[in-house]
Amino acid sequence: MDKSSSQRLPPLKRNWWLKHRFFKLYMLREATVLPLVFFTLCLLAGMVALLQGAESWQGWIAFMGSPIVLLLNLLALAASLFHAATFFVLFPRVMPLRIAGHSLPDQAIVAGQWAGVVMVALLFFWLLGRSGA
Amino acid sequence: MNMHKDDVQHKQAFDEPLWWGLFSAGGVCFAVLLPAVILFIAVLLPLGLLPAEALSYERASSLLFSVPGFLFIGAVVCLPLFHAAHRLRHGLFDISVGSDALNKKLMYGGAALLSVLALGIVVAGFLR
Repeated sequence: MDKSSSQRLPPLKRNWWLKHRFFKLYMLREATVLPLVFFTLCLLAGMVALLQGAESWQGWIAFMGSPIVLLLNLLALAASLFHAATFFVLFPRVMPLRIAGHSLPDQAIVAGQWAGVVMVALLFFWLLGRSGA
Repeated sequence: MNMHKDDVQHKQAFDEPLWWGLFSAGGVCFAVLLPAVILFIAVLLPLGLLPAEALSYERASSLLFSVPGFLFIGAVVCLPLFHAAHRLRHGLFDISVGSDALNKKLMYGGAALLSVLALGIVVAGFLR
């Protein structure tokens, strides 16, 4: 997409998106990546710590438990779920599925994707959640 | 810069589908994988709600420094980074911060750099 179209249209003010609920939600969705980037940087730090040795790894877990880091990561969890909610409804619009000539209802496609989220969580529970693993 | 505008447009016709593809793939990973990843690694683990040995140093190392670990990092770090880069680039454009040509290089470049770093760590741990 050509981003220099401002040469043809009058430039928008920076607060244009504050004027309508739809645009505010759009910007909120754009902002979901901010806590995601924070979590990703945390994860990268954890990988470096794991490479360094057992002591660094324990230090990283303690760092992850500090209140501000925990709070920002809880925000990242909420952001990922909000992103999921907005992303899943797009799928049936972008790629409507048809099975044996019948189009699958939108709700079924959205529900299927949420089932995917639950499956991944169950996989993690199977991998990490059981005692004596 | 404006003299090269047509050049830029011409080039963008080639690379935009790539950024869009990475954005979409990252969006799927962000939506489907990240809720569980964040819940287990960034919430339950530091709160001590996982069994003690679940992510001990030895177990975490053997899980991460492996072929599945490499794929896991690709899906949980690299693709979501490109998703984030795309949204940040367009978000910056929306609030008129910086120039898009520079933002584009910074965002996708940053995502690529961190991706290489992340995958490099897995390979380094694997070869250790």
